[in-house]
Amino acid sequence: MGSASAAPVVELADVRKTYYVGGVVEAMAGVSLSLDAGSYTAVMGPSGSGKSTLLNLVGGLDTPDEGRVTVDGRDLSTASEDELAAVRGTDVGFVFQTFNLMPRLTAVENVALPLVFDDWSRADRTERARDLLEDVGLGDRLSHLPTELSGGQRQRVAIARALATDPAIILADEPTGNVDTETGDRIMALLGELHADGHTILLVTHERRIAEHAERIVHVRDGTIERIEELGDR
Amino acid sequence: MNPREAVSMAVRSVRSHRLRSALTVLGIVIGIASVVTFATFGASVEAEVLGDLQGSSANNVYVFASPENDDGFDRSIQPLFTTYDVNQIRAIDGVQAVVPQGFVQVSGVARGNETVARQQVTATVPETFANGSIVAGRPFEPGSAEAVVNEEAATDFRENLSIGDELRLDLSAGEARNVTVVGVVNGTAGELPVGGFGQQPRIYVPVDPFYRTVVESPTLGVNQLAYPQVTVITDPTRTETVEQSVAAYLANESDASRLKADDVTLVARTSGDFVDQIGDVIEQVTRFVTGIAVIALVVGAIGIANIMLVSVTERTREIGIMKAVGARNRDVMQLFLFEAALLGLAGSAVGVPLGLVVGWAATRYAEVAFALAPFWTVLAVAVGVVVGVVSGLYPAWRAARVDPIDALRHE
Repeated sequence: MGSASAAPVVELADVRKTYYVGGVVEAMAGVSLSLDAGSYTAVMGPSGSGKSTLLNLVGGLDTPDEGRVTVDGRDLSTASEDELAAVRGTDVGFVFQTFNLMPRLTAVENVALPLVFDDWSRADRTERARDLLEDVGLGDRLSHLPTELSGGQRQRVAIARALATDPAIILADEPTGNVDTETGDRIMALLGELHADGHTILLVTHERRIAEHAERIVHVRDGTIERIEELGDR
Repeated sequence: MNPREAVSMAVRSVRSHRLRSALTVLGIVIGIASVVTFATFGASVEAEVLGDLQGSSANNVYVFASPENDDGFDRSIQPLFTTYDVNQIRAIDGVQAVVPQGFVQVSGVARGNETVARQQVTATVPETFANGSIVAGRPFEPGSAEAVVNEEAATDFRENLSIGDELRLDLSAGEARNVTVVGVVNGTAGELPVGGFGQQPRIYVPVDPFYRTVVESPTLGVNQLAYPQVTVITDPTRTETVEQSVAAYLANESDASRLKADDVTLVARTSGDFVDQIGDVIEQVTRFVTGIAVIALVVGAIGIANIMLVSVTERTREIGIMKAVGARNRDVMQLFLFEAALLGLAGSAVGVPLGLVVGWAATRYAEVAFALAPFWTVLAVAVGVVVGVVSGLYPAWRAARVDPIDALRHE
């Protein structure tokens, strides 16, 4: 659980990242940003602005070409593959636009998956996964496969999975992008609860309405931070 | 990740693609079953043939002439060993008996008015039957008109020959001699143990009075009976030394060494030598055929590699998900390796029993006793797993190297 003190739990210092996909794409062109523990930050920008890259860098899915990314005191720019895997497994929890659930695993098994790689026993995993699914209101969908769940239910399974190892930081990439407005509101309410519980939340979206759930909005464009808009505590 | 979790996930993945997994396993099953079948059949044939050979003739030394550059199977039938040689060999320390064998040409053998075509009968001495090969009656008496037949010869007649039957030998030049059957032996008494499957029919008669092949002894300068082959029965504890002494005598002092053609070698062999030689040949054939079966196994291995590669591509997104929730590269690698090993193990588990059954059926068909090839069987199981792991290595490495960001975008 993130602490309520204002120490930064994530820090990016002059981060640069360039991709070569049919040409040079400068996804991060010198970005510095810090997230306080327990804060709720939204990153907004048009597609291709580098907002997803920012999220991937913080989550240890990607490493910067230049600059430093520090998560919970750990420098990811020099971390080994195994250390990055540990960050992804225990320090952060991902919530994706396309849910990214394992198609052949049940809801409980999907939620328990991060615990498999964290060497939990089967009984402990199942118990933890059940509790989390009950918390997100899916106590009656434990043995359902993803194909047997609605979009909103799938996203709630994904949120439960993100919480499995009790990470301090939740990274949400367009979490409402594939669900209807009403369901999207419920997803955002859930993220709000996690924030209230003390989690640090980094949310990527292109919708102003969604971004306004956060305490501040970081506007990015062409790989740089355009401005930071403080919304105040909600 | 705990290896037990990896195994359980691998099992799940294999079971979720039943048909595909079954077909992949089938390739390994065929490969392993072929290897086990041929190895088992080879071991059975070897055990059978060597068992036939070892029998009771372990203390025999066989003396014969062999054309040069030959392993000794193609025996010359030149009468090279004179009575002088036989007597000299008999005097060697450790020799219990010397049994010369020669052939008497005949045009047929008759009982009453039933004639069986036959080119020769074997002329020898009663010691031929010394080591318990007589199953009925007794050996013939030297100098008498008596004969001993083996079981194969006895059954050549419409009604089996039995003790007391009168046989007429139609010798060359229209001469005929009557003999009385006094004994039945099994096998081919006193002959080189190279019969292999089944035995030849044999009729044995005493050297005196039937054998008449003579040559002049170079040592003594007189005409003597001479034989194409001689069997030396030795003191069982001294077979090896006798073999050497006989070989030395043959090479240096014998009549045979002076009578033989230049391209002929005089050979003294124990049945152990033959057993080794024939064992080698059968083993080589078995290895060769088993080697061909290994090709089937390689094809099966390629099948595993292929399906695992397809599987990695298909599950790229799943690999990305696993990595996003904390799977390390080696966890992913372990998952795919276990899956491949599982396919190999399943192939072994089915292929080994199948190979044993088919090998057993083959031994029944060939009428040899079934013998296990434990080394090959254990090897086949190990190979199945190793084949699975090896063919899974590259796909698993590919899986481990999947970039999670690309993988999560993968449709």
